Amino acid sequence: MPITFKDVFFTHDPNTPLAANALKGVNFEIEDGSFFAIVGKTGCGKSTLIQHINALLTPMSGEIRVGEFVNHPVKKKRQLKKVPELRREVGVVFQFPEYQLFEETVEKDVAFAPKNFGLKEKEALDEAHKALSLVDLDESFYKRSPFDLSGGEKRRVAIAGVLAFKPKVLVIDEPTAGLDPVGAEEMMSLFQRIHDEGTTIILVTHDMDIVLKHADKVAVMDDGKCVGVYDPKELFKEDISSYSLDDPLVYGFAKRVKQKGLDLDVSSIKDVDSLADAIIASKGGIL
Amino acid sequence: MNFSLGRYIPYESIIHKIDPRAKIVGIIALMVCIFLPMRSWTMTATSLGLSTILVIILLACTRTGIHNILGSLKSMWFMVIMLLLVYTLMPYNSLPNIPVDDNLGVAWNLNGWTVYWGSFAAAGTILMRLVLMISITVVLTASTKPLDLTYAFEWYLTPLKVIHFPAHEVAMTISIALRFIPTLMDDTKRIMKAQESRGVDFSHGGLGKKIRALSSLIVPLFVSAFSRSEELANAMECRGYDPKAKRTRYRILRWKWFDWVFLILLLAILALYIYVCVSGFDPYNFFFGLTLQ
Ligand SMILES: Nc1ncnc2c1ncn2[C@@H]1O[C@H](COP(=O)(O)OP(=O)(O)OP(=O)(O)O)[C@@H](O)[C@H]1O
Ligand SMILES: [Mg+2]
Repeated sequence: MPITFKDVFFTHDPNTPLAANALKGVNFEIEDGSFFAIVGKTGCGKSTLIQHINALLTPMSGEIRVGEFVNHPVKKKRQLKKVPELRREVGVVFQFPEYQLFEETVEKDVAFAPKNFGLKEKEALDEAHKALSLVDLDESFYKRSPFDLSGGEKRRVAIAGVLAFKPKVLVIDEPTAGLDPVGAEEMMSLFQRIHDEGTTIILVTHDMDIVLKHADKVAVMDDGKCVGVYDPKELFKEDISSYSLDDPLVYGFAKRVKQKGLDLDVSSIKDVDSLADAIIASKGGIL
Repeated sequence: MNFSLGRYIPYESIIHKIDPRAKIVGIIALMVCIFLPMRSWTMTATSLGLSTILVIILLACTRTGIHNILGSLKSMWFMVIMLLLVYTLMPYNSLPNIPVDDNLGVAWNLNGWTVYWGSFAAAGTILMRLVLMISITVVLTASTKPLDLTYAFEWYLTPLKVIHFPAHEVAMTISIALRFIPTLMDDTKRIMKAQESRGVDFSHGGLGKKIRALSSLIVPLFVSAFSRSEELANAMECRGYDPKAKRTRYRILRWKWFDWVFLILLLAILALYIYVCVSGFDPYNFFFGLTLQ
């Protein structure tokens, strides 16, 4: 489902002294089936923006289209039609999703969403087991209490809780924050797999290496606005420090190597592997 | 739900500048005024009317919109209906506390089911008192930093230290509790959003569904509250917090002339109300010779 933002404005706590203009006219489009990253400095409105995609927030003005669904300004949220259908299609994994766990066992917690969306107990548990194996948690976890798990395991359970209802669009807010490097890598390869199976992924992140490696498109946000949608490699060619963004490590390394005289093809670099290939290629295939 | 009600709102009004110690006493005086029983419905109406005007002025000073207060009433409609039912269905004067005034006459009489206008007046009085109570509390919390409030509490409790009352500990507990109200509200909002994304509907559905929906909110809320309190306790201990230690203060409360003015004004109002209440003084009769009965 393609997603379009059109002149979206949003204010937290309007008409109070605490009012915060989080979105100030956001315009962009997310193509169906893409792996779309959203980057920008802390407090620029990324988390606020993604909550509009499944109608947790409704804009003050402007509209968000998700397939057939239109999220537009209304007085009361229940005036929006078909919200449950929308939420079934668009799964959102929040920043620090481990706060949402509440059932006695891991499998019950993961089966919670499918049951809410109308699956029978048995089917829901089946989906839960599938989702748990996707996030690499085996049967020994099924009957454990989600509160006895480590932080990283809780995060996986919470993510499985959203994967379990197989949303067509998966929105993820900083899934790798606070994970160990291997765990973060596994998490990203999980999302890559899910994307390869046909799910649209929208990823908010501060890690530019992840953007370079996984995303096909990246939107840069600054102070409540979208300043542009780029191809990741194009973005990192430009000077991006004014948006408090930094070059990905591999890219910075390649740039530095190029400055020092090695004729590298920077445009093919996505991760450590492709960097190594590029260096070898520039040496004529032999070291 | 309106989550901003009851929060401290940083404006620079006169009410904000009044010493919290004066404010607490003044606000308590005002609450007593509202709950003083008057002899007749005319005086009840008059006293409540005057209190309302006073409260509206205070609210305007702290810039809390009246629509915010009325908004918070929306969630109380059930109570309002119950009140009306109880007062109209019960035989008059069998209710404690608020004597139904039968001078207002009979509203209707259906085969022995007599309903007096006084019942409605009594129900209205209770409702009005409730609204005023909420508004006054909002004035206090919106215009006073939680920390200042607890300093004031502690100040009032200090004399009790002589009898080994743990004044500082109590004040600290209160200040922590107040400090965490907004945090818990933010948590509530965040958890609700996460569960709504998982298909929970907090506003529709039958009783069973509602209970499940609520448990998906309350359990994580408790978990996060407990983990927060543990973290806070650890953090305090790491910094060498000792409740028994003697400590100095960064902000010192200073009593100024307008604190006196505020306090004396409100105490004078209280005195007037008490006088009217006790003596049964009827200004309508006294000044204008009217008998509004
Ligand atoms: N619940 C809220 N109430 C009031 N203001 C809020 C709320 N949530 C966010 N804001 C404000 O809105 C702005 C955007 O916040 P948002 O959480 O969308 O930023 P973000 O881009 O996700 O930041 P981060 O990278 O730190 O997650 C900030 O200025 C923030 O203070
Ligand atoms: Mg965020």
